[in-house]
Amino acid sequence: MRPHESPAGELMNAQVVRLLSDVSVHGDQHLAEVERDLVQMDVLLDEAIKKLCASFMAIHQAVDRQQEALSGLLADGGSGSEQAARVAALRAEIAEHVGAAVTGLQFQDMTSQLIGRMVQHLAGLRDVFGALDANGAVLPESGNEALLAMLGDISDRVGARCSELAGSVRSTVNQRHMNSGDIELF
Amino acid sequence: MTKTILAVDDSGSLRQMLSFSLKAAGYGVIEAVDGQDGLAKAKQQKVDLVLTDQNMPGMDGLSLIKALRAMQNYKTVPILMLTTESGDDMKAMGRAAGANGWLVKPFDPARLTEVVKKLIG
Repeated sequence: MRPHESPAGELMNAQVVRLLSDVSVHGDQHLAEVERDLVQMDVLLDEAIKKLCASFMAIHQAVDRQQEALSGLLADGGSGSEQAARVAALRAEIAEHVGAAVTGLQFQDMTSQLIGRMVQHLAGLRDVFGALDANGAVLPESGNEALLAMLGDISDRVGARCSELAGSVRSTVNQRHMNSGDIELF
Repeated sequence: MTKTILAVDDSGSLRQMLSFSLKAAGYGVIEAVDGQDGLAKAKQQKVDLVLTDQNMPGMDGLSLIKALRAMQNYKTVPILMLTTESGDDMKAMGRAAGANGWLVKPFDPARLTEVVKKLIG
């Protein structure tokens, strides 16, 4: 009797099948949860930043109108040139702060890109587990050579899926500096 | 006459910030959610400058630039890329496609409007 046809060999095959099935079921459950949470996180972050952005704009516009009114009042007074200069400086300072806030708010866009990438990778992993599950169900009941061939086929499928994913996923965000980016005119 | 800028980005918050910054500087802004939408809006109305992201679903920024440069009335309209991509290879591809400049996110509103002013006044 050849080793792969022994009861021990059959037991090993059964264990491999069970292992693949368990990995598939549990992995799929966890990944589905992570994927859902990431999508929700993206929605929440996007919403929060939109609200913040709208608030900043409204504040900026209100302050702008206030400054214009103040400038008008001071000009009518005739002797407020020093005050007018101060108001003008304040206006420039507020604009600078709002500009910095706009720059800062854009980091949400980068987190959003990263979350999008993670979702794509997780979806890819789910496909991999799906392939394991589908192939695990038809694993040969005996024969190490057949089993190896089957595992090799699964490995090829997983490799092909990874290559597909590498071609379709967005490039990553390598942001290291936390100031505004470079500008280059051609 | 108010100059009009087409801002193309799949991020709603980014479009909102671009619109805010450019309108505050006196420009009119048309927003588009991706390259396809940008191309459709550019066909509907001639704009003075195009500001586009690179990574977008459907049609990306480079494809949009190529499509616009193929149109007679967009041969000389300034097109700027605004993207998180900062590699020299990507910049070279942008330049070859017909972009006039490369801006790396996050943008500073004052510097952005300075560049826009330099290109279209």
